[in-house]
Amino acid sequence: MADFQVWLVHWYAHAAPPIAAFMRSKWGWPFAESVHFLGLSMLVGCVGVFDLRLLGVGKRIPITALHKLIPWGLLGFAINVSTGSMFLLTEPDQYFYNPSFQFKVLFIMIAGLNALLFYVTSWGRVNADGTINAPRAGKVAAVISLSMWISVIVCGRLLTFYRPGPCPKEGPGFIADCTPRSSR
Amino acid sequence: MQQLIHFTGWIESTAFSDWVRGAPTVFAFPAILSCHTIGMGLAAGINAAIAFRILGVAPNVPIAEMKRFLPIMWFGFWLNFVSGIVLLIAYPTKALTNPDFYLKLLLIAGGVWLVGIIRDRIETFPKRLAWASILCWGGAITSGRLLAYTYRHLMAGL
Repeated sequence: MADFQVWLVHWYAHAAPPIAAFMRSKWGWPFAESVHFLGLSMLVGCVGVFDLRLLGVGKRIPITALHKLIPWGLLGFAINVSTGSMFLLTEPDQYFYNPSFQFKVLFIMIAGLNALLFYVTSWGRVNADGTINAPRAGKVAAVISLSMWISVIVCGRLLTFYRPGPCPKEGPGFIADCTPRSSR
Repeated sequence: MQQLIHFTGWIESTAFSDWVRGAPTVFAFPAILSCHTIGMGLAAGINAAIAFRILGVAPNVPIAEMKRFLPIMWFGFWLNFVSGIVLLIAYPTKALTNPDFYLKLLLIAGGVWLVGIIRDRIETFPKRLAWASILCWGGAITSGRLLAYTYRHLMAGL
């Protein structure tokens, strides 16, 4: 895994020099950060409101009708994958070796898998006309979704606190949470 | 200005300010910053969801029912009010000597004011107010984010 991370860092470092140059310009990084936070709010707002409905807030709202907000949450997610990639393309070693980033990616994947499972297992029943109470599986999905996105936010904010330092002499473990010598 | 920095310097010298700023634990500054971001997502995000509905997204949602989500939006707002004050105690000079910080407060005040008006008039689909609220909260997020890049003095002595 550590070798793969080193490869990722190298690949990202050379993948898009113009983007890295933009990010290193005076307002590049602050601009991307601001947009990343706007996307975050769109994602958490639209997906979160839908999750809350599954949990029973606003029961007079047909679940299917409220689901029309989800594409806007997905747009927020797309904005954040784009701006997030801009950070990765500029300072890849600050992310791929950062345990907080590794957990962030894990939580995003769990959130995605959870959404997929929701559509496979409960969407048919939730989508039935006149459903007021979401099935138990839908509520579980909503709780997982809310906790994952909140965890993603927390991991994002903890990135600077867990900045990776250089690896000790014996090198990184299975997953590198420090900058390997071969990477410097 | 001198008096302001004298005052903010005194805040920075308190044990609490020092702890928030410098305690080598994730439960000090990083945790409070995390709370501030969660509250931001809830407040600005739920406001955006309600505004999107007013602007025509999800037309089959009974519009007045969107008010049911307001308590969670207010939870996010108060979480940020409290965590924001703690962050201000940690770095008072940094915030209070930066005009951008006052812009952020102004935009938040505008956003809060609009929530009340939109709530009372929601049945009339106040589209302009919905746009204005998106601009206020989006502007508050942007000006807040830029605080990290536009400050003139980090601390009183610096």
